[in-house]
Order: sequence, then C-alpha cells, then structure tokens
Amino acid sequence: MLASAGPGAPLHGPRGRRPTAGLGRLGLRATPGRVRAFAAVVVLAMAGFYIVASIAVGNARDGLRVIGHDAGPQVLATADLYFALSDMDSQVADILLAGSGSRPGTGRALIRYSQDRATADRAALQAAELSAGDPTDQASVRSVLDGLGQYERLASQAMVLGRQANRPPGPPPAAVIAVYRQATDLMKLQLLPQAYNLTLAGGATVREAYEAKRSAVSSGRVWVALTGLAVLVALAGLQFFLAARFRRQVNFALALATAGLIVLGVSAVRLLSGEAAQLQLAKADGFDSILTMSRARAISNSMRADEIRFLLDPGRADIYSLDYLDVAQTILYVPSGNLGEYYTGLGTAERAYQANSRSVSFLGFFGEEAHAHPGPALTVVLTRFEQVQADDQRMRQLAGAGHSQQAIAVLTGQTAGSSGYDFDRYDQAVVSLISLHRQAFDQAVRTGDQDLGRSVLGSWASLLPVAALGVALLVIAGVRPRLAEYR
Amino acid sequence: MNRERGTARGRARAAAAVVLALGLCTAACSAGGPPSIVGKQTLRIGVKADQPGLGLRLADGRFTGFDVDVATYVAGKLGVPPGRITFVPVTSATREKVLENGSVDMVVATYSITPERETLVTFAGPYYVAHQDTMVRADETAIRTVHDLKGKRLCAAAGSNSWKRVTQELGIAAKLVPAPSYSACVAMLLAGKVDAVSTDDLILAGFAARAGRAVRILNAPFSDEPYGIGLRKGDLSGCEAINRAISQMYLDGTAARLLRKWFGHTKLQLDPYVPQFEGCG
Repeated sequence: MLASAGPGAPLHGPRGRRPTAGLGRLGLRATPGRVRAFAAVVVLAMAGFYIVASIAVGNARDGLRVIGHDAGPQVLATADLYFALSDMDSQVADILLAGSGSRPGTGRALIRYSQDRATADRAALQAAELSAGDPTDQASVRSVLDGLGQYERLASQAMVLGRQANRPPGPPPAAVIAVYRQATDLMKLQLLPQAYNLTLAGGATVREAYEAKRSAVSSGRVWVALTGLAVLVALAGLQFFLAARFRRQVNFALALATAGLIVLGVSAVRLLSGEAAQLQLAKADGFDSILTMSRARAISNSMRADEIRFLLDPGRADIYSLDYLDVAQTILYVPSGNLGEYYTGLGTAERAYQANSRSVSFLGFFGEEAHAHPGPALTVVLTRFEQVQADDQRMRQLAGAGHSQQAIAVLTGQTAGSSGYDFDRYDQAVVSLISLHRQAFDQAVRTGDQDLGRSVLGSWASLLPVAALGVALLVIAGVRPRLAEYR
Repeated sequence: MNRERGTARGRARAAAAVVLALGLCTAACSAGGPPSIVGKQTLRIGVKADQPGLGLRLADGRFTGFDVDVATYVAGKLGVPPGRITFVPVTSATREKVLENGSVDMVVATYSITPERETLVTFAGPYYVAHQDTMVRADETAIRTVHDLKGKRLCAAAGSNSWKRVTQELGIAAKLVPAPSYSACVAMLLAGKVDAVSTDDLILAGFAARAGRAVRILNAPFSDEPYGIGLRKGDLSGCEAINRAISQMYLDGTAARLLRKWFGHTKLQLDPYVPQFEGCG
C-alpha cells in the first residue's frame, strides 16, 4: 500500500494514474504532490487574506488616528487661535470705550485680554505643530506670532493713552483712535485672516486624509471578503480532494480551519464596516460640525467687535456698520439690503424655523447646521442670536438719535436686554452646541478605537497574524497524516 | 480535465473582472462629487473683457489685467502652464451659467463672494478684498465722503449692486442715473451727466488710469468686496488646492508685485496681505 512519492520518483498513489512526463516531474500527477500543491494554495490564499486584512485594519487605525488624535484635534485648536485673537481686539475696544473712569466691566475686560493672550499663545503652538512639513502654513504661523507681538505693543500703547486722557465713556481722543486703528487694522487685515486660513488648511488636510482612509477601509472590506472567500473555496477543494482520494468523510483539522476562517472573515468584515461607519460619524457629525460652529463662534466675536468699534470710532462708523452686516450674514444669511431689513428678515426666518424645523429659509453657518443637525441646542442658539440682533438694533437707534451714553450702556451692560449680557449668553449657547458635537466626535473615535482593540487576542493587529498562522498550521496538520501514508 | 481547466480559466477571468471593477471603483468612487479641476492638463478660465486693470481684451485678442495674472499664477500652481490656458470672456450675468454648463473650468472676474452665489458656485479665495469707493471729476470739491452724495447724481450701472450699497445699505439719498455699464458711467461722469461713480476701488482705478487727470477717487472706502475664484459647485479639492496657491502667492511676494504692477500708479491703499478665505465646504 505504501509507496514513496518523492520528486523524480513518481509512483502510483492509492488510486493513482499513470503520470505524464511533464507533470510527473513536478510531482503533480501523483496524489502527494497534489495534496502538497492544494495545501500550498490554501496557505498562500490565507497569506493573501492576512495581507489584505492587515492593510485594511491599518487604514482604519490610521484614519482614526488622523481624525481623532492628531490633525483633527489640532485643527480644532487652531480655531481657538482665531477666537482668542478676535477677542483680544474686542476687549481692547471695550476698554477704550469705557473711558478713564473705572467701570466694573473694565477690570473683567483686562483679565479676559490676558487670558486670550495665553490662549492665543497655546493655540499658536498647536498650529505650529500641525503645520510641521508644510512651508506655507509654517510661514503663516510665524507671521501670526510676529504680528501678535506688534499688535500687543500697539494695543497697550492705545490703552495707556486712553487712560491718560481724562474722559467719560465714549469715543476717545483722535490720538488714541489713531493708535487703535493701527492695532485693529493689523489684527483684521493680517492676523485674523492668517489664523482663519490655517484652520481651513488644517480642515482640508483632515478631509483629504478622511476621504482616502474611508474609501480604503470600504474597499478593503470588499477585498477581505473576496480573499476570505478564495481561502474558503481552496479549503473546500482540499477537503473534497482528500475525502475522495482517501475515502475519509471529515478532516478534523481542516474543518476547524474552515470554521476559524469563517469566524475570522465575518468578524473582520463586520469590524471594517463598523470602522468605516465610526470614521464617517467622527467626520460628519463631529469634526465638520465642530469646525463649522467654532468658525461661527469666532466670526461672531468679530461681529461683536465691529459693534463696539462702531461706537468707539465714529469716523469709521459706516465701515463698521457694513462690516457688521457682512459678518452677521456670514453667520446667518437672510436676503437683506441693509441692517433694518436684516433684523426683520431674521425674525421672519426664525419664526418659520421655530414653527417647523424643516423650513430652513436662511443660509450661512447656521443654515448649514440647521440642515445637517437640527435640534433644541441649535434652536437655543438661534433664539439668542436674534436677541443679540435686537439689542444691536436698539443700540444703533439710540446712537442714531444722539443718545450715545445710553447706546454705550446697552452695548456694554451686563444685565438682560443689554448686548454685553445677551452676547455672552449667545456665546454660551454656541459653546454648548459645540460640546454636543464634541461628544459625538469623542464617542465615535472611542468606539472605533475600542473595536480595533477588542478581539479575543486583544487588538486586531495582534489577532490577525496569530489567526492566519493558526489556520495555516491547521491546514498543514490536516494534510500531514495523509502525506505520511506515502512515506 | 480540459473541462476542468476551462472552468478554472473562467473562474480566473471572473476574479480578474471583480478585481478590475474594484480597482475602477476605488479610483472613481473615492473622488466623490463632480470632476475636479485638479489634474486637468488644460484650463479654460473665464475673465472680464472690458475692465481695464482687471480683465481686458486687447485688439490682438490677448487678455491682460490683475485677474488674468492671478488666474495664470493659480493655474501654474495647479500644473497648467500659460500655453495651455484659454481665456474666455465672461460678463457679470454669465458667470454662474458658464461654470454650470462646463464651458469654463474656473472664473476669475471681479467675482464677489456672496451667500446667494455660494449656493450655486464653490468659491476659492478671496484672492483680494476690494473696497467700494467713489470717483468724481477732478474739479469736484463738494464731495469728500460717500455721505456727500446726498442729492447728487450717482451712476447706477446695469447688473451691478454697488449703487445699492450707497442708497440702500447706507441710506444716502443720491439721485440714481441708470447706465448700461461702468465704461458708460465714466463717459457720463466726464461729460458732466452724473456727479459720481461708486463701485469697487480696483475697477475705478482701472478707469481712472485711462481718464488721466480728469477724474479723482475719493479714497474713502466703505465696504469689503471679497473677490473669489468661482469653481463648479462641489469641487472641494480644486477649491482647497487654489486656496493653497493663493496663500503661496501672498507669501512669495507675487501678490504684492501684481498689485503694484496694476494699481501701483494709483493712490489706492493696497493690502498685500492674504485675505481671510471663505472656506470650501
């Protein structure tokens, strides 16, 4: 019964046929050769499965790392840079408008100014880290830091001059205005645009990485399924061949390998589907909305600064009024030729939205958000935004009628119905909305990370090679006794 | 045996087809959205043909101006040399249409970014923020700021919104005199039929350079007009690539040089700093 089947000595196996010369030399005509070849095909297919699955899992891990841990959070930090910078300028305007007498708000504004400075420094460092490797962005960060030093010198000069002049609240003397204009122009023309563009450039980097990784994970999932199927077919083929040649019903080791492969393949495909979904959640529900709302918050702060500058610098009142309208329309756009029409249009659009959250008749940042994520948090934001505009309207009416002290009181007051107070409440509502998206973002990243790290053998990165090796070893264990029959 | 090999070959062919389909999908499906201008070998760029200093068609058919130079720089950063650019004349009224029907790839034509236009077009930039200003006859002394236009005759060019900024946004009661275009406005100003022309300072500067000493720009700017580069709606990669190019244009000094080249002879206050982008999404 037993016969040697070494290469070059092809002999008949249990049910062997006469070999033809070429195939015979390869040993494929003889059963042991075929068994070896079949087993080799299975092991090779398994190696293919392992490679494809590792690449796909690696892509999922990289995608989560970029969005959830590296570039994503850094981009969000650069949005703080814009906010801190615009807030510095807003506080300086507030302090100058207060006059030389001490108003309770002035001390607070000074504290906030220095807090903003610290935030700006921190955020600039984050931006510098993020921009390593991109010379354009690096130059922008350097330029912002240089300009910031210059801005601080001009701002403190204006504040010192403003204190020296003994005066009531209201527009400071021309010499103070001249210095402040230099400071605010530097901020508005040079620092803020560069800070804003850094955030946008970072957002573009994250978007590109996301698109590449998510499509790689999605197509990786198909490849994993296909190579898994190929291994399965090869395994089944080997089983049938052995069953036919050796008249044995079930090869236990191969059956185990098959079962193991099915479990592995199905869980790998499920894992990758889950990862693609979590990546999408982190990007669309988290990152994008956080970025949009952070931009809205930063721009809102510029709007507030334009409101203060309107009273501070009557020589540029026109410019600051038009700026105010432009900025307000960036945040929430309703068709309107001037501020009067804007207040009216805003009221109409908001009432329509309150009545039916699917009737979004406005554009801008809040229009985007209302389409993507309507909900009570946004409704609060919109209501408070409308209140801020109502205060603005009252302030401008008072200023227009020559009641400048009352206008200043409305602008800087810290009680309900004054725009200082209502703007802070509006800002808090935007912050709450951002933190909701932050939770969605953190949750998606955490789930994605956990799923990658959760398998019978700890992380998928360590499970895959062990499982693949296991299946290969089972295949070898399955065919070895059959080959031994030929020794 | 032959039959078996046949099926094996068939299977191999089926597998190859699946692989091919997957390959095609990863190439095409990952792009998402409309085709991008990134990677194009040639570009058709819409520019104005009748605005001196910005986009002007010369007698020999060539286009010159600040917008044309900006477009050429940006195209270069996208890998398209001047020899493979075709400039196409557009007017304010046709800009959205030519982008939508694909007859141009991008529009660089004093195209102010507005929320309404953003619903139809994806804007990169702005590459420059112009400011509305007012042009009067050189001997006019009564008009110093835009507020002095109260009761004066202000030219209202067809298709432009600039006069609305004066009469509606600022609520200044100027008497509007309609005209078909800004070149007509300037002719009417010189002929004494209107007292002032109010629009973007860069547009005024181009006309002022032609009219010589007969006119004067107030140099009292009062609004921001962000000039964007229009792309087909949804071309995010194109928009992001152009924003990078615009940042580089300011960092390497090209923007400052081009502003000097086209507007250096005027008294306009030019801002050689990169503008705040609108964002592509």
